[in-house]
Amino acid sequence: MANLSVSLAGISLQNPTILASGIMGVSASSLKFVEEHGAGAVTMKSIGPTDRTGHKNPTVYSWGEGITNAVGLSNPGAEEGAAHLEEMKKILHIPVIASCFADTVDNIAKVAEKLLEKEPLALELNLSCPNTEDDFGCMFAMDPRVTERAVTLVKKTSGKTKIFVKLSPDASNIVTVAKAAEAAGADGITAINTLSGLIIDIHTKRPILKNTFGGLSGPAIRPVGVRAVYNLYEAVKIPIIGTGGINTGEDAIEYIMAGATAVGIGSGVYYRGIDVFGKVTEEMENFMDQNGYKSLEEMRGIAHKC
Amino acid sequence: MDKPLALPIQKIITESERVKTYVFDYDFPGEPGQFVMCWIPGFDEKPFGIIKKEGKGFRISVAAVGDSTKAMHMMEEGDLLGFRGPYGSVFVLPEKGKQIAMVAGGYGMVPLSYLAQEARKKEYKVHLFIGARNKQELLFKEWMEEIGVLVHASTDDGSEGYKGFNTDLFKSNAEKESYDKVYTVGPEIMELKIAQICWEKNIPFEVSLERYMKCGFGICGQCSVDPTGWRMCVEGPVIDGEKLKKIEEFGKYHRTASGKVEKYPWVK
Ligand SMILES: Cc1cc2nc3c(=O)[nH]c(=O)nc-3n(C[C@H](O)[C@H](O)[C@H](O)COP(=O)(O)OP(=O)(O)OC[C@H]3O[C@@H](n4cnc5c(N)ncnc54)[C@H](O)[C@@H]3O)c2cc1C
Ligand SMILES: Cc1cc2nc3c(=O)[nH]c(=O)nc-3n(C[C@H](O)[C@H](O)[C@H](O)COP(=O)(O)O)c2cc1C
Ligand code: FES
Repeated sequence: MANLSVSLAGISLQNPTILASGIMGVSASSLKFVEEHGAGAVTMKSIGPTDRTGHKNPTVYSWGEGITNAVGLSNPGAEEGAAHLEEMKKILHIPVIASCFADTVDNIAKVAEKLLEKEPLALELNLSCPNTEDDFGCMFAMDPRVTERAVTLVKKTSGKTKIFVKLSPDASNIVTVAKAAEAAGADGITAINTLSGLIIDIHTKRPILKNTFGGLSGPAIRPVGVRAVYNLYEAVKIPIIGTGGINTGEDAIEYIMAGATAVGIGSGVYYRGIDVFGKVTEEMENFMDQNGYKSLEEMRGIAHKC
Repeated sequence: MDKPLALPIQKIITESERVKTYVFDYDFPGEPGQFVMCWIPGFDEKPFGIIKKEGKGFRISVAAVGDSTKAMHMMEEGDLLGFRGPYGSVFVLPEKGKQIAMVAGGYGMVPLSYLAQEARKKEYKVHLFIGARNKQELLFKEWMEEIGVLVHASTDDGSEGYKGFNTDLFKSNAEKESYDKVYTVGPEIMELKIAQICWEKNIPFEVSLERYMKCGFGICGQCSVDPTGWRMCVEGPVIDGEKLKKIEEFGKYHRTASGKVEKYPWVK
């Protein structure tokens, strides 16, 4: 039997599937439900400085090949978010990755500090959400210098908590941004967040999402994610959580072969149901058994050797 | 389909001052208890229960409460609304049961009217406890009587039937009648009272538990309940009475659009 356990920046996971941020992550019990369905770790929904209801509906729908969302970073604010995190840590047995965003570098450091008080194993800085209003419109992850400053500030108070940085495929050079994050002390990279997109309903002659633009996720973006991970693997030494369009064990293995240490799954919950984590794990195991791989280590980055 | 399908409103029926019914000539799938996400272009997207009557097509009935439902009430025949779904769990009729009861408040009549129609087709004896502010707001009363449902009406002002709550009317009725199963949809305080009566008397029952919805298909986590994490858009909205015991937030609190916990006013 293949061994699927991994060490992600020193955090041990029984299997490499991680629930991506923003999916099912509103409450502790929602994440517990994901744990019960086989995830190796979970990420909470990104927390910001204050209570936000997000955009009006429609905020999420599927266009077949993918999902378009503009939830608009709805969250209960740093204070309640930290309380949720505490509860998550209490009731979950698998690692919980905290997540935060903000409008300015100083504010993200403040939100991070609030969450770090609860000493999560890891904190993901969401520097790359494409669907917020103007004040959040310029993503930190577009600019290596801003990313570096954000990571440097957060690292000052992060203690034992590992800091992951979530990057955008919309950045003109994701590799430069990742290098800046690594130089500032980031412990890992999550790639990718959604891509900015637009879908118009031709009958009503309107964009469907209330926010007009939205982030694309799901199978349609997988080649973009795999490409990002492939490039990042050659450029940085810190581990990468490959995310974007993973629905099956084969998809996950593609990411591992590109160089990912673990894999994030979001939209897969829609495509294959809440037990997508168990399914992906089993399919990975089957593939590895059939092809003679004993550990993920043996496959990691293997696509670079050809 | 999970992308809004734009359909022209074929017919609008004014049911009362607060409620209008919208009829669509499209064979949208869906069973009693399930809902659609309805896109009101330019305004919002909201969950609504569906009804299918004889023949093709489907309908929704909408109470004007806030901005987007008021905007819907301004729409005309021929205007476009977008639909995706159907979503959620369905009501289950008892296998050999002969007599069932339904307790409806407000637009809770929407899914229950569809269920009552299906139950009558299978010749169940159906008692309906319908409560409203006044006589005019007793949704679908005539339709239900026409299909042979035994209607027990109650109104706040006594303008028709029992003056008071339908929960009290149901309680006293349940002393003399025996029901194989009870179905309830309406304000959560009403559902809670019915659940307590049914638990006490050991009557199997189902409720439709509504929570704030964004995606409607189980990924945003907005509608998850404590402590089970069940999503009311996938594992719900129809929940069996035994399972309901596990949902500790039922009757106590819900989450707002930001994910913040909001206690109900009746909870101290
Ligand atoms: C499964 C389900 C089935 C429903 N079926 C019907 C129906 O058949 N007929 C009908 O008239 N109404 C139905 N509703 C309620 C309906 O979706 C809301 O009452 C309606 O959206 C009010 O919106 P508004 O913009 O006019 O008012 P708002 O002022 O925006 O909202 C009024 C209240 O409605 C609730 N609400 C608003 N948006 C949502 C949302 N996205 N998800 C859940 N609740 C919300 C909240 O409690 C809110 O405080 C249903 C709700 C759910 C969850
Ligand atoms: C409905 C939805 C909400 C999301 N919210 C967040 C969020 O709050 N924070 C974040 O970092 N990423 C968020 N994302 C992005 C996902 O975490 C993930 O990076 C992206 O969806 C790609 O993975 P997938 O194809 O497996 O979904 C969201 C995605 C979706 C579909
Ligand atoms: S509304 Fe999104 S999970 Fe239920």
